[in-house]
Amino acid sequence: MDFAWSDEQMQLREAVKSFARDELNEGLCERDKRGEFNREGWHKCAKFGIHGLPVPADYGGMGADPLTTVGVLENLGYGCKDNGLLFSINAHMWTVEIPLLDFGSEPQKRKYLPDLCNGTLIGGNAMTEPGSGSDAYSLRTTAERRGDRYVLNGSKTFVSNGNVADLVVVYATLNRSAGPNGICGFLVEKGYPGFKVGRPLEKMGLRTSPMAELFFDDCEVPAENRLGREGAGQSLFTHSMNWERACILSNSVGAMQRLLEMSIRYARDRKQFGQAIGKFQLVSSKIVDMKMRVDQAQAALYRTAWLQTKGRNVYLEAALAKLTISENWVRCAENAIQIHGGYGYMVEAEVERELRDALGSRLYSGTSEIQRVLVASLLGL
Amino acid sequence: MTDQSATMSVIKDYILEEFLPGEDPGQLTPSTPLVSTGILDSLAILKLIAFLEREFDIPIKAHEADEEHLNTLQAICALVDSKRSLVR
Repeated sequence: MDFAWSDEQMQLREAVKSFARDELNEGLCERDKRGEFNREGWHKCAKFGIHGLPVPADYGGMGADPLTTVGVLENLGYGCKDNGLLFSINAHMWTVEIPLLDFGSEPQKRKYLPDLCNGTLIGGNAMTEPGSGSDAYSLRTTAERRGDRYVLNGSKTFVSNGNVADLVVVYATLNRSAGPNGICGFLVEKGYPGFKVGRPLEKMGLRTSPMAELFFDDCEVPAENRLGREGAGQSLFTHSMNWERACILSNSVGAMQRLLEMSIRYARDRKQFGQAIGKFQLVSSKIVDMKMRVDQAQAALYRTAWLQTKGRNVYLEAALAKLTISENWVRCAENAIQIHGGYGYMVEAEVERELRDALGSRLYSGTSEIQRVLVASLLGL
Repeated sequence: MTDQSATMSVIKDYILEEFLPGEDPGQLTPSTPLVSTGILDSLAILKLIAFLEREFDIPIKAHEADEEHLNTLQAICALVDSKRSLVR
């Protein structure tokens, strides 16, 4: 394995760090309080090339390999403290662009990918329903072929970007008796008849990433907007989740590094009992644990992306990376608060928000429990 | 044994051991449905793909991890053979 960055990759990583620090953090505390999406930041990131990182240049992207992509996203997360904005961008990339790129027809790719890359279109993914979460394939939203269109009926919840999305990948069943083999993906535009956005959902963390319920009431979708063949929904969703697990926490590794550096600075500056608190072993050991967790997370991220770059399937590694990074992100944020003491508990210190943001990572893209089930099964248990 | 029958034998042994332990091997024929009957569920498909890639040193594309390509031993062997012919 070789994770050494080329000069070109280093330049890109440094450039995105400065861009993120200078352009994406202003007004974050207020946006977090209000639960407000940073649409301007969204467009700035798209203009920088973030949204199109893994998409070939033919379709308006940068055509970066997976290792380059996660390296850039890691540094984006280091510079940008708006984890919600980055979560929205990740949802857009891994659950809309990638399925479209790998399962879409040529006309579908030409129609949607350039505008997804340049940020004109915001993408969302609608799989989860009130009655189906971890048991995703028990979904109840139906699709019925009627002439040159499909008619969708049902509802979805926890749809990231749901209330700002222009294009949503919706999973529905054509035949419930076929179980997972009856499921199909559809590219649904927000203006289609029968598509309704429900109430925005207020979250504990990642508050700047919009989330909503969606309703499909005889929603008419042109037949050419079916994504993949009929019944291919399971492989479509598996593929999408595999990429998401491998890459969605790239920016979290950068955020963890930022928390580590912030905690080291504080432990050196803050004096108690006549010396810097970092001199007390109960504090310094927490910082050592943070460093260990950052390195574990980074290794899991890079190794998975490197294997992807080599064209290998990464079912096992992606689940392990997701599990390792999310659990370590939460622990790092907890340690950061503990090191900052009472100040870390104050909103203005901007440490407590990191913990609220980190906690969600144990839940989305498959809970930590589901990742463990996947890994155990792939180990032959 | 031809290449094709050797391939089928390796895959059949894997499926019997992993997903049908204790079942009569004679019941698993080249045309026994595997995906549509739930013998291969979503998790089993991931395991099978990982096995095929490792055992035969072939890459399998995301859209091939479905009922059309994996529903029977015959279909799985056809997929593996098509990949190996590309590699040769």
